[in-house]
Amino acid sequence: MLGFSHRSLANFLFWVTQKKWFLITMMVGIILMLLPTPDGLSLEGYRIIIIVITALMLIVTEPIPLPAIALYILISEVYLGIGSANGIAKSFMNDAVFFIMGSLMLAVAIIKQGWDTRIALGIIKITGNKTANIAFGFTAISAILSSFIGEHTVAAIMLPIGMTLIHFTSENDEKVQNISAVLLFSIAYGCLVGSIGTPSGGGRNVIMIDYLRSSNLSISYIDWMLLVYPLVLIQIPIVSWILIKSFPPEYNQLDSGVRKLVVQVAKSAELTGRNSVAAFIFLLVFLGWIFFSETIGLGTIALTGVLMYLVGGFVKWEDLSKNTHWGVILLFGSTISLGANIKSTGAAEWLAGSVINIIGPILNTLPFLGDLLVTIMTTVMANVLSSSATVAVLGPITMNIGNDPMHMGLVTAISSAFGYFTAVAAPACTIVYSSGMVKAKDFLKVGWKMGLVSIFLLVIYANTYWLLFS
Amino acid sequence: MKILIAVGSKEYSGPTLRVGMKVSHAFKASTTIVDVGEKVSSFNTKVVGLAQDRMESWDFSRPGVDVLEWAFEFLAEKKFIETKAIKAGFPKNTLVDTGGNRSEVYLKGTVSDEVSLILRNGEIISELRDEVQSHQYDVTIIGGSKKRRMAHDLIQYIDSSIFIVNNYNPDQSYKILLAVDDSIATSKAVQYGARVAQAFNIDVDILTISKTEIFGEGYKNAANRAAKFLRRCGIQHQNIYKIGNPSKVIKEIAGENHIIVMGTSTRNPLKKFFKGSKPLKVMENCQCPILIVK
Repeated sequence: MLGFSHRSLANFLFWVTQKKWFLITMMVGIILMLLPTPDGLSLEGYRIIIIVITALMLIVTEPIPLPAIALYILISEVYLGIGSANGIAKSFMNDAVFFIMGSLMLAVAIIKQGWDTRIALGIIKITGNKTANIAFGFTAISAILSSFIGEHTVAAIMLPIGMTLIHFTSENDEKVQNISAVLLFSIAYGCLVGSIGTPSGGGRNVIMIDYLRSSNLSISYIDWMLLVYPLVLIQIPIVSWILIKSFPPEYNQLDSGVRKLVVQVAKSAELTGRNSVAAFIFLLVFLGWIFFSETIGLGTIALTGVLMYLVGGFVKWEDLSKNTHWGVILLFGSTISLGANIKSTGAAEWLAGSVINIIGPILNTLPFLGDLLVTIMTTVMANVLSSSATVAVLGPITMNIGNDPMHMGLVTAISSAFGYFTAVAAPACTIVYSSGMVKAKDFLKVGWKMGLVSIFLLVIYANTYWLLFS
Repeated sequence: MKILIAVGSKEYSGPTLRVGMKVSHAFKASTTIVDVGEKVSSFNTKVVGLAQDRMESWDFSRPGVDVLEWAFEFLAEKKFIETKAIKAGFPKNTLVDTGGNRSEVYLKGTVSDEVSLILRNGEIISELRDEVQSHQYDVTIIGGSKKRRMAHDLIQYIDSSIFIVNNYNPDQSYKILLAVDDSIATSKAVQYGARVAQAFNIDVDILTISKTEIFGEGYKNAANRAAKFLRRCGIQHQNIYKIGNPSKVIKEIAGENHIIVMGTSTRNPLKKFFKGSKPLKVMENCQCPILIVK
């Protein structure tokens, strides 16, 4: 046919099947471009909304690699006249992107230190042998650590500890299915509920702080903790309780597993002075976040920590380069650029206005419904996208719903952590799923309970505890 | 000659391995066993990699390595391969990343010259296609799937002959059902059919189907040439001539005690994509193993 061999036609068809969502997305984009601009919205505003819709379709269906989606966003912004090439390039990079880059690099440096054996010993010493206590210990440690270090780092550190304990309890996976689920979900959900606790808990928090700053609103590291950390502490026992009830453990005591784990840890290398210095560097980074983040920026401090690890020889550049997902950084940069331009073109205000037009009268009588709507919308998006991309895209819109951008900004950032429903929603869930010891359907089985509890808890919390600070 | 055997789980891959190794021995082929694990969310590939590095430092293998380890032990136990224990070998199961979601797997302290083990992660058709294209396999052997799309994609996009091991029962006696016609793929199908018959030491039914009551010269010649070839190879065979819809007739005759061997469709790929093809219809209808020769 037209000189094409059967093989080249087959290759073409394969390409079409692999890229069908890219082709569908482009068609949707072209159709939207041909429609008239809605009333009250600028041409640039309408075009940025089209880029958002098509970019979201590409991120969810992923017919092309993530970095290619980032490039699509950036070049579309220039070609469709959203801004000049230099303007778009500037909107691509800010402290939040520095922070995401720094935290991914810090994760590599910290995970390579092998702190997991120490943590394992610490948990067992505190919790003893009772399964429910161990589950609580796993949730609490994961939540507290991830609130400072970030969920992906903590999940990677905690996973082998959980797996070892399960394996030592029984080598027959079928005999410990529920214990596996309880312990591994304790890690994943512990990391998720903890990641909201401080600005450094996740890139999404820093993205929101940047948006608030651009609206002349400031929140310090300590202020964020004062506002949000109690919610972390409330959720820890709830996670543990839901998990134990959803997956009743096969054994109430894990005597033999704990004993063997202690022996295994004892056999591992002793804590060295070098390990202590590595921990001290992270402590410095943490103190920097608390005391200087408002002036220097969380990202710059994270990168300072990375530099210190590199200068001290705690991690090799080759390891950092190999294990840092540069494509994700590129994508987050481009979604932050999208967010900035949604705001600058007036599209954010128009979208928020459209929402208010529909639910405005109800909002006036029942103000908490705005929180509920934003929480549900963010939770749904975070479960199909990524939490940081969700905040980057939704943040400028949700901040315009209601009269308090700080309130809505925090609600958006917090609810973006409710990625309980699928194995791919959050890094901590994907890491735990990668062990092969929990099933994809288990995420939905327990995730909906966690999702409901977290959503309602947040709405109540935001409309009661935060009133003390207003 | 290179053969690729795709396994997926310990529960269902035993028959695929048995058939695969018999065919591999018949062709004196080098054999590779591949497990394609689930695709990791692109957002998290690197952090998952880091977590798996930590898992390995605690002596846990990555998911999928256990399936390959089981496959290796299964083949050794059933005497399909000879293994050598090597004291100076890898101290634990070791993965060598060869790029593009692909790792070569070396098992702890043991080796066999007869099979290689590969672990891949991603969408199964895409990964198998890449494996076959980049390493030039002649036959891909895989277990049956209930998904129609999977069958279609295997036939359409994998650039090697495909052996789908549907409902194979090692305790049942099989015959080869060799479907022949005047297409150019038939002669290679006859050669492969003969080899498989020798591997399993079974008889061959040569089936020629015409949609009309008159069998054309091309069909008759194809059936005669197949019979002549099998006679030379010393394989018991019989010619069967039937009239009707090819896929329905093949289904009726194949039942559950035949291994179907047929050539691939020579239709234009676009027509195959939209209208399907004879091998695809046969694969959808039949409940027995089927080898489609490309």
